[in-house]
Amino acid sequence: MSADLGDRVDALGTRGTVAAAAVLAAVLAVAGLAVTGSGDTVVAVVALLFSKSTLAAALRLSVPIAFAALGGIFAEKSGVINIGLEGLLIISAFAGVYATSITGSVWLGVVGGVVASTLLALLFAVVCIEFRADQIIAGLAIWLIALGLAPFASQVVFGSKNASAGATFPDIQQLLADTGLPVVSTALVGALDALAGVPFLGALFEASPMVYLMFVAVGASWWTLNRTSFGRWVRASGENPKALDTAGVDVTRVRYAAVLLSGVLAGVGGAALSLSLGQFVGNGPTMVNGKGFIAIVTYLLGNYNPVGALLSTMLFAGLDALQLGLQGQDVLAIPQSLVRTIPYVSVIVVLALFGRTRIPEAAGEYYESGEE
Amino acid sequence: MTEAVRLDGITKRFPGVVANDDVTLSVERGTVHALLGENGAGKTTLMNVLYGLYEPTEGDVYVDGDGLTYDDEGAVADAPRRFDSPRDAIDAGVGMIHQHFMLVDPMTVAENITLGNEPRKWGGLAVDRAAAREAVLDLSERYGFDVEPDATIEDIGVGVQQRVEILKALYRGAEILILDEPTAVLTPQEVEDLFEVLEELTDAGKTVIFITHKLGEALEAADEVTVLRDGKNVGSVETAGTTREELAELMVGREVMLETETPPATPGAPTLTVDGVSANDERGVTAVDDVSFTVREGEVFGIAGVDGNGQSELVEVVTGLRKPTAGAVALEGTDVTDASRRARTRAGMAYIPEDRQERGLVMDFDLSENGVLGSQHDAPFAQGGRLDWTYADDHAADIIEEYDVRPPDATAEAKSLSGGNQQKFIVGREFARDPACIVASHPTRGVDIGSTEFIHDRLIDLRDEGRAVLLVSSKLDEVRGLSDRLAVMYRGRVVDVVDPDEVTEEQLGLLMAGEEPEDVPRADPVADAADATDGVAGTPPADDADAEVADD
Ligand SMILES: Nc1ncnc2c1ncn2[C@@H]1O[C@H](COP(=O)(O)OP(=O)(O)OP(=O)(O)O)[C@@H](O)[C@H]1O
Ligand SMILES: [Mg+2]
Repeated sequence: MSADLGDRVDALGTRGTVAAAAVLAAVLAVAGLAVTGSGDTVVAVVALLFSKSTLAAALRLSVPIAFAALGGIFAEKSGVINIGLEGLLIISAFAGVYATSITGSVWLGVVGGVVASTLLALLFAVVCIEFRADQIIAGLAIWLIALGLAPFASQVVFGSKNASAGATFPDIQQLLADTGLPVVSTALVGALDALAGVPFLGALFEASPMVYLMFVAVGASWWTLNRTSFGRWVRASGENPKALDTAGVDVTRVRYAAVLLSGVLAGVGGAALSLSLGQFVGNGPTMVNGKGFIAIVTYLLGNYNPVGALLSTMLFAGLDALQLGLQGQDVLAIPQSLVRTIPYVSVIVVLALFGRTRIPEAAGEYYESGEE
Repeated sequence: MTEAVRLDGITKRFPGVVANDDVTLSVERGTVHALLGENGAGKTTLMNVLYGLYEPTEGDVYVDGDGLTYDDEGAVADAPRRFDSPRDAIDAGVGMIHQHFMLVDPMTVAENITLGNEPRKWGGLAVDRAAAREAVLDLSERYGFDVEPDATIEDIGVGVQQRVEILKALYRGAEILILDEPTAVLTPQEVEDLFEVLEELTDAGKTVIFITHKLGEALEAADEVTVLRDGKNVGSVETAGTTREELAELMVGREVMLETETPPATPGAPTLTVDGVSANDERGVTAVDDVSFTVREGEVFGIAGVDGNGQSELVEVVTGLRKPTAGAVALEGTDVTDASRRARTRAGMAYIPEDRQERGLVMDFDLSENGVLGSQHDAPFAQGGRLDWTYADDHAADIIEEYDVRPPDATAEAKSLSGGNQQKFIVGREFARDPACIVASHPTRGVDIGSTEFIHDRLIDLRDEGRAVLLVSSKLDEVRGLSDRLAVMYRGRVVDVVDPDEVTEEQLGLLMAGEEPEDVPRADPVADAADATDGVAGTPPADDADAEVADD
C-alpha cells in the first residue's frame, strides 16, 4: 500500500509544482501589467483571466498538446524518445481534414488522422528499433517529412496549402441531442445547458467532444502505465531493458507497441486540432506550429505522469488563451509580438524553477537482446 | 546419480575468442555446484549458454529440474534443449541471477519479482497487486527470506536485492538456479546468510550452480566444484576430497601463494589528511559524519565496514566527486577541499572507483581510449591540442602486458572484456599515473586469485616506494592483510582505528555492527586523527613488524 501512497505523493508533487507555477506565472503577468499599465488594464486582464471564453479557448488549445504528450510519455517511458511528435500532429491534422472531406464525417476523419500518424510512427519505430538509428535524428526527420509532405499533399489534392474539411465537431450538447434517445437528448442536454450558464466553469459543459475524450485518455493512460502489465513492461523497458528481457518479455515488441501507441494518440490530437476548425492550414510551420514540441515540454514538466502532463498542458494552453484574448482586446502597452511570447517564456521559467524530471534510465538507447 | 543439468561438449566462439572450448559438465539434482575459474575463463559465458542468452556454437544442453532420464545403456534419454531466449530457459525451470543485477530500480520488490508474469484481474485490465504481494510473501516465508514486497529497489541494500533476484527466479518456477559471483558484493555476514539460503533451496530439491573466485566459499558452500581455465573444463572434484591448494593449482595452472607476507611499513610524512569531513548522500541524509584521519606516505590506511555505512561517500569527498558539508581534505599539505577531480589527479591522486562500469571505464571505448582517461589534458598524451594516439596505444599495450589483461588487444572495446579484466585494466591505468596517493575502492572486486595476488603485491610495492594508499574494501581479509592501520566505519562515523594484525575477526565484526567489543588493539595513536595536520613528519614508524596476511 506504500506503493499506492508513493503514487499519490508523486502525483501531489507534480500537482503542487504545476499549481505553484501557475500562480507564479499569473503573479508575474499581473505585476508586469501593473508596472506598464494603468489600474484599468489590470482589471481588464483579471476579467479576461476568469472569463468563460478564456477557459473555453484553453480547453480547445489543450487537446492536441495533451494527446501528443500522452503519446510522448508512452514512447519515452519505453526507452524511445519520440521527438517527432510535431510531425505526427502535422500529418494527422492534414489526413483528418482529407478523410473528412471525402467521407463527410469528422469521426472518420479522426480515424484517417490516426491511421496516417500511426503509419509515420511505424516508420520511426522501424528506423530506430530495427536499424538502430539515432532517435533524436530520426525524430527530427519525421518532423521534416511531415512538414514537407502534408502541405504538398494538400497542394496536390486541394490545389492549395490550406484545405477545408467541410465539417467540424459538433459540441457535446449537439452530439448528445443527435443520439435521439429521449432521456439523453432532453434531460441531460437540459442539465448541461443550465450548467453552461455558470460564469467561468460553464465552458466545461459546452466543449467539443474531443475535450472530454482528452480527459478520458489521460485517465486511461495513467491506468495503463501504472496498473496494467503492459504499463509495467513499458516502464521496465525504459529503465532497464535487460531486466525485462531476462524476465522473458520481448523488449522490441514492447517498444514497437509503445511507439505505435504514441502514433495513435498523437493522431487523435492532430485530427482534433484541424477538425475543430474544419480546416488544415499548411503555410509556414503549419497550423501545428510547435505544439508537438510544447507537448514534450509539458510531459517532462509533468514528470511523465499523464495527469501532470495534462495540468502543465492546461497551464500552457491557459496562458496561450490569455495571450490570444489580450491581443484581441489590445489593452496592453507592450507590443503584440511580445505578448505572443508570454506562454513560451512562462514555460521556460517554470521548467527552470520547478523541473524535477526523472528521465528513464535507458531512454534513447538502442537495445538488442543477448548483447553483453 | 540423477543429473539436473548436463552440458555436453559446449563450444562458444566470439569473433576472435573461444570463450568455451568443448566443455562437458554435469550437475546432480539437489546439490550446490560451484564453478571456479580465473577472469575470462568463460564461466559467465557458459552459464549464459545454459540460460539461453547465447546460442552455443557447438554442443548440447540437457536440463530437467526433476532429474534426467536414461536409457538402458546409461545414455541420456531426454532430448537436448535448444534455448533461443531466456524465456525458453525459464520455461524449462532454469533461473539466473546475474553478476550485475537485473532489477528495475524505481519499481518495487513485488513489481520486480512478478515482472513478465504478473497476476492479473478484470480480464487482464489490471495487475492483481494484492495477489502479487501475497505470492511474494508466501515465497519469502517458504525459504526464510526477509523482504518487504512494497520497498523500492533503489532503497534496499545489495544483499536484499540479491534475494529479490532469487525470489524472481523462484517465482518463475525455477528448479535450477544459476548465480554469477553472488558473493562479490556481499559482506561476510550476508555471505553466510546466502549460504543458508542455498541450503534451504537444495533441501527443497532445487539445484544450484554458482560462480565464484573464492576457494574458501566454493569449499564451504558447494558439494562439487568444476574448474574452468581458458574456456576448458580442467576438472570436476567433490569438495569433500579436495583442498584449497589443489583447487588453486587447477584454476591457475601453477602453484599459487595463498598467504603472502607483507613486510612492515615505514610511514613518513602525512600525504592525505581528512579533517572533520561530513557529507550528505543523494537524499540529503548525513552519510559521513565528522570523519578525520591521516594517511602517511609509505603506509596503507584501510577502511572496513559493511557497505553503505558512508565509505562510498567518504571516498567521493576525498576524490572530489562529492562536496562535503563540513571539513577539509589536504593532499601533501595543500588544501584540496574545493579542487576538482582533474586538479586532484594532477596533484597526484589516483583513484580506483568502486563501480568500474559506471565510473572506471567508458564501456563503448576501446582500451587505448580508456587508457587515456584522466590524462587527456596532459602531456605526453595531449600534444598541442590533439591527442597522441600512437603514445596512447603504446600506453594501453603496456598496461595490458603488465597487468595481464585478456584478451591482450588494445582495440577491444571495454564492454567485451570480462568483469575481472576490466578491473585489472583500471588498476593498471591508475597505478601508471605515478601517484603520490592512491585511493582504492574495492580494487579486487570480481578479480580472480592470481590477479588479486598481483594487485595486492603492486599495492604493497607502491606503498614501499613511499606512496600513500587509502584502501576501502568490504573484503575483510583484504583490508586486514594489506592495511597498516585500519579504520572501521559505522553509520558514517569512524568508530575505531585498529591494528589490523592484532584485531580478531570477531572484534572487527562487532565493530562493523556498531558494537563495542573489549580489548580492541588500537593502531599507533601518534598519527591518529585530525591533529596530524600540523605535521607528523617526525613520527616514528609504526611498530607492526610481524605483519601477516590473514588466511583468505
Ligand atoms: N559478448 C562478447 N563478445 C566478445 N567476447 C566476449 C563476449 N563475452 C565474453 N567474451 C570473452 O569471452 C571470454 C570469457 O568471458 P566470461 O565473461 O565468460 O569470463 P568469466 O569467466 O565470467 O570472467 P570473470 O570472472 O572476469 O567474470 C573473455 O575472453 C571475454 O573477453
Ligand atoms: Mg563473469
